[in-house]
Amino acid sequence: MDILAIIVNVVVFLGLAPLFEGVIRKLYAKVQSRQGPPIVQPYYDLIKLLGKERLVPGNVAFKIAPMMAFASIVTVVMFVPLGFKANFLTQYADIITIIYVLTLGGVSVLLGALSSRNTYAMVGASREMITMIMVEPVLAMTLIMGALKVKGMSVGASFFSVAMTGYGWGVVLMLVVFLMALQAFVGRQPFDIAEAEIEIIEGPFIEYSGPYLALFKYYMMIKQMFYAFLFVTVFMPFLQTGSYAANIGTQLAGILAVVVLISLVGSTNPRLRIEQAVRYYAVLILLSLTAVGLTVYGI
Amino acid sequence: MATIQALTDQLKKKFANAVTGVENPEATQLFIDIKKDKVREICNEVIAQGGRYLVSVGTDYLAKDGTLGLIHTFAFDKEHYFASLRTATKEMEPIESITPDIPNAGWSEREYMDLLGMKFTNHPKPKKLVTADDWPADIYPLRKEVPFNIKPLAAENVAYQLDECPDGCSIVPFGPYHPTQHEPAHFALFVDGETIKGSDYRGFMIHRGVEKLAQTQISYNEIPFLAERICGICGSVHAASFSQAVEIAAGHKISRRAEYIRTIMLEIERVHSHLLWLGVAGHLIGFDTVFMQAWRVREPIMWLCERLTGSRKTYGMIVIGGVRRDITPELKQDILNVIGTIEKEMVTIKNAIIGDTAIHRRTKDVGYITKEDTIKWSLVGPVARARGVDIDARRDQPYAAYDEMKFDVPVVDNCDVWGTVLVRVLETFEAISIIRQALDKMPNDGPILMPFDDALPAGRHGITAVEAPRGEVTHYVITGEENRPERWRVRAPTYPNLQGVPMMLLNNQLADVPIIIGSIDPCFSCTERMEVVDLRNGGMKVMSQSELEALSRNKG
Repeated sequence: MDILAIIVNVVVFLGLAPLFEGVIRKLYAKVQSRQGPPIVQPYYDLIKLLGKERLVPGNVAFKIAPMMAFASIVTVVMFVPLGFKANFLTQYADIITIIYVLTLGGVSVLLGALSSRNTYAMVGASREMITMIMVEPVLAMTLIMGALKVKGMSVGASFFSVAMTGYGWGVVLMLVVFLMALQAFVGRQPFDIAEAEIEIIEGPFIEYSGPYLALFKYYMMIKQMFYAFLFVTVFMPFLQTGSYAANIGTQLAGILAVVVLISLVGSTNPRLRIEQAVRYYAVLILLSLTAVGLTVYGI
Repeated sequence: MATIQALTDQLKKKFANAVTGVENPEATQLFIDIKKDKVREICNEVIAQGGRYLVSVGTDYLAKDGTLGLIHTFAFDKEHYFASLRTATKEMEPIESITPDIPNAGWSEREYMDLLGMKFTNHPKPKKLVTADDWPADIYPLRKEVPFNIKPLAAENVAYQLDECPDGCSIVPFGPYHPTQHEPAHFALFVDGETIKGSDYRGFMIHRGVEKLAQTQISYNEIPFLAERICGICGSVHAASFSQAVEIAAGHKISRRAEYIRTIMLEIERVHSHLLWLGVAGHLIGFDTVFMQAWRVREPIMWLCERLTGSRKTYGMIVIGGVRRDITPELKQDILNVIGTIEKEMVTIKNAIIGDTAIHRRTKDVGYITKEDTIKWSLVGPVARARGVDIDARRDQPYAAYDEMKFDVPVVDNCDVWGTVLVRVLETFEAISIIRQALDKMPNDGPILMPFDDALPAGRHGITAVEAPRGEVTHYVITGEENRPERWRVRAPTYPNLQGVPMMLLNNQLADVPIIIGSIDPCFSCTERMEVVDLRNGGMKVMSQSELEALSRNKG
């Protein structure tokens, strides 16, 4: 039975991440007075890419990077408490593990970009690096705030801190900061700076095609869903019902709401320049530190 | 501020030996023949008198008298006339470059080094501009003895040498195929981190030789259709300005009704072009919603154009002597309905853009150049008007029915990309108001087309400027024999504006490059004047994938 909950985790994330991506694309289209692709289009895209020729300009690192990114995000989703229920693996991980493994995904993107030796990929990689350095603390602070609230580093404790100890001003502030950082977490406008289709032509992913690109795309979709999930689990504990299945249902509904928010914000904002974004991130870091500070004093 | 009389008197007085002849066939045209050794000084004097540099026209008279002609043209905006300084040089003799004083002349002069084999002394950047890197050094394609369809053998291992990259900078290539540009052109950006410290431009990769084609293959009445294909967006503008240049050179007057219809076509084109630009600009700063909405609003105009002319773009409407289709009362009502809707939606768009701080963040202080530099570099159109330079060919050099129209020329002094956004949005409202006025005042009778009775006299010069959506288009025509021009020179607005881009890019961020290049609304095909026609089979054929692959692998 232990293994079942983990399988459910993986299946739900792998199976639904492209669907949420499809919802985002559809909503973008609606805001832009377009018809838009069918909601299941991302599945088709992935299947199509998986069937394409593999072109490798760089070295081995170029091939390993997408697999590593994909593996890291799958690892993360394996031990997160889907359905507000800690599974068998959760006890073996703590929030540091989550942060590290998530960062590993980002590092893989950098690795792939740098090994392709493309100028645009280099520019994209340097932007990705700046973004990582600047928004990762917000994620860390969110988890650390939870850990502080319940005085424990375990994933379960941190994720359910709000559920267990309730809202405070610190939590509310962190909630706002998390929402402000959400677009940056998932690489959507106005923070799709590292990819910046128009200037640097998808930046780190410019040399990728076929199955490798499919893995990266899948990685990004799952990451997007993970951050929406994280928000729902930490800040919306009231969605909990009695049963595991119903919990998954309400959680997915919450994720859908976050996804709608992502697409609305994304479609009504132009991309920022990296130095403008850095200023914005700096404010976020300060605010998240403040939130943690407030939590320390129990506010 | 010199009238035609004052300018000629001044030049004659100051350069008595160098001025050999003055011609003033029409109130708007002044041609001065000068000796080549005083070119630079006389050009400087014309600038000092208030002239604005337009373009240089190189001509080939080798067969006639063994000379290559060079015509520097200037506009006097306040006095509403054009002044052209005509000079000539022997084949191998160099002529003094005016680029050190008038930087915008740089490209024109480089063009004639490539195309006519002229030599210039003191040119600051005497590099290849137009011809391919492997083009043989002794074939000058614009010369009369060179056939229009010459195909020299390709050479190996030749490449354009980019400018020296400053110390500590690395090169980021933009192009030849880059999503920012939509057309092939290469910007080499010298960046320090993400800050641009310099750039070099290599374009003209798809030069089509339209001018050569018009001078050797087709006739006056066909050229307007070729001219329309110079640009996919401002087709009527080129057709109108070519037709006007010929009409001026021949002294041919067209009916008032035709002039009104031309005015309406030109303004419809402006509305659609500005909406198009707005969309593209949104896309370039990563704001696709602006892109989609602007293009949605634009769509009814395209349908309207189809009802007016038979096609959505490349209308084939304007020809020498008038226009080809009339505007009936039903169409008039149709136009009024469409522009009424557009105006309402434009108000929404305008408010949305002006209120959107995110757009301000991306466009303010981006692509900054001062008013002085703008004048010095002879930039035109919305790019200049956003920098406080009050020029507009519709008001300064009236043509068609613009002398009877009342409109404002929006000028702002932001000196940045935001200024160009603002100017273009405001101009759209002016264009709509001009269309209304023109429909209102249009005379109800008169032929729409007045063809020529006799062949055009040869050797006459005509110059005209038309305010295209992106700026001022200048056409220079020298009439010739065999029912086609001896020389036809097109200068699209991108030609001068693109030369100002390196200055706008300087010290900006890499992320701003798309919107800065985009802010001049670049039209590389205008600049490169090319046309590809497949005459081999005439009919259309759907090719299978394997056929296409075979074609591309065997290089056609």
